[in-house]
Amino acid sequence: MAVKRKKSNTGDMIVPCGKEDSNSTEKKSNGKEHLLPSMIKNKEKRSAVHAQLKHQKKLEKRKKAKAREADEKRALEIGEEPPPRKIPRTIENTREFDETICKPDDEELFAGNDGDEFSSILKHESTSKILITTCRFNSTRGPAFISELLSVIPNAHYYKRGTYDLKKIVEYATNKDFTSIIVVHTNRREPDALLVIGLPDGPTAHFKLSKLVLRKDIKNHGNPTSHQPELVLTNFTTRLGHRIGRLIQSLFPQDPNFRGRQVVTFHNQRDFIFFRHHRYIFESKESKQSDSKATKGKDTKDEKSAQEKTVARLQECGPRFTLKLISLQQGTFDTKGGEYEWVHKPEMDTSRRRFFL
Amino acid sequence: MPRTTTVECPGCPPIRVLTFDVLGLVKVVEARAKQGGVPKVVERWGEPDTSRHVLAASINDSKFDPLLAVARKSGVTEVLNPINGDLRGLVPSVCQSDVQPEDDAIVGLHLFKKQISDSSSSSGNIVCSKVDGSENYALFGGKGVEANVWDLDKCTKIWTAKSPPKNSLGIFTPTWFTSATFISKDDHRKFVTGTNNHQVRLYDISAQRRPVMSFDFRETTIKAVAEDLDGQTVYIGNGSGDLASVDMRTGIQYCQHVLT
Repeated sequence: MAVKRKKSNTGDMIVPCGKEDSNSTEKKSNGKEHLLPSMIKNKEKRSAVHAQLKHQKKLEKRKKAKAREADEKRALEIGEEPPPRKIPRTIENTREFDETICKPDDEELFAGNDGDEFSSILKHESTSKILITTCRFNSTRGPAFISELLSVIPNAHYYKRGTYDLKKIVEYATNKDFTSIIVVHTNRREPDALLVIGLPDGPTAHFKLSKLVLRKDIKNHGNPTSHQPELVLTNFTTRLGHRIGRLIQSLFPQDPNFRGRQVVTFHNQRDFIFFRHHRYIFESKESKQSDSKATKGKDTKDEKSAQEKTVARLQECGPRFTLKLISLQQGTFDTKGGEYEWVHKPEMDTSRRRFFL
Repeated sequence: MPRTTTVECPGCPPIRVLTFDVLGLVKVVEARAKQGGVPKVVERWGEPDTSRHVLAASINDSKFDPLLAVARKSGVTEVLNPINGDLRGLVPSVCQSDVQPEDDAIVGLHLFKKQISDSSSSSGNIVCSKVDGSENYALFGGKGVEANVWDLDKCTKIWTAKSPPKNSLGIFTPTWFTSATFISKDDHRKFVTGTNNHQVRLYDISAQRRPVMSFDFRETTIKAVAEDLDGQTVYIGNGSGDLASVDMRTGIQYCQHVLT
């Protein structure tokens, strides 16, 4: 009985909606503003309309893609130029205009680079020596992460934290000629922040660490050797990004050993810095002729393409994690009294297309 | 990164600002339009070179012979003409001979209209100093050094501040003044200081030794305090890049600009 009543209720409600539907389906093709699924108050009916809409969209998209492919294939067969491929709109494509993006002819930038804190290491005048330590309570994944970091970064030394003050640690490290300190901060038994302090009076960068995957959890991982790795830094475009890029560069030795075939990558995308460590090997592959669809016009093309191609195969080793910059402070660690070059504030997140690195 | 700024002739458009930066460049920024035109760098003096890092600057804005003194990291103090940047003269470093110029950085510089030799001695680390409009009184403050006012004619300390009493939690914050300024050019008795503990304090030497008014501004150290011409408003800037203008009579913030 209750069910029948419900049906009659919905039947009652459907009738006016049905009228709306029939009126507006004609208008729908003209303008969607007339009936959106969100305007229907009845959840069952609304979800049915929404599912129908999605299904239609999917079919249309599939049809369009097939038509595009058919056009391209036809154009290739005939020998004409295929129609140009459309460029998808991405958030990186539509990034907001940023006046701090480094230009290639900026002499102030180069002069600043010459005089900044990393220039002595980057000009091969001194070698990097890293001190790695942790916060006061370090457990579970922290030590494993640190041992992997020690294998990735050459000339890195680990010291237990004890109960020393960080400002004192900075002093001791400067006396012992270290060039930077990395502090791995753990929260709830999981490393979640990285503090990179340049020495003797270098900037302090505070990063948020996430998505940590240790070497043993990577399938088919490789084992790093003690050769000095190459460093790849991509997409650090703005002035701030450039400075952070130089900070990261100063952690590694400037003379990579190419015979070791190891590469460490810091890739910046949307203000997240992705860290990857790979071993690579170059292989030459012969591409075979394609048997099907061999017309006369295509024969010459196939012969040309049956050549050797060298490809690089990658094997991931070492940890995998992402960093996000929280603040960059001038001078060594001094949260209260230091001047911040850049600090993230919630008011800065005004738009999804705005990035700072 | 700009370090010090001197403003000349504010209040009448166009506004002309001289900025000095880590690379030793002096840039002139002007805002032409009356209400909030976009400021543009009009001129740039000097070549970028970090050994010429500017530490402090002071301007003497008189009608006949305007002078701008710039103290650089290399220990050399240059005197320039602020209108077109010509070098007028060089003052060799006045530091003691046994101290490296880079270590004993010049923290404050004031261009005296008359030729008065400045001699003052005190213990502790002086971080900020300011000379008032009539150039008879100077104010010093620093880390562990309470704010003092000196009479320059007699070269004696005439007034010292006393730190505010312990707060309700019983915590005593050590003194650390990071910036100071007299609140108006004529009155040497009232001045405003900023501390490392994100506090801004107004002192009146004719009233009492404790601060007359003090308020907090955000969370990082107050790096710069500057007075407005009207003798009431004070502009403050802190270490995270936030600026605000405050009316010192009431302590009300007029406006705030947060760096994003």
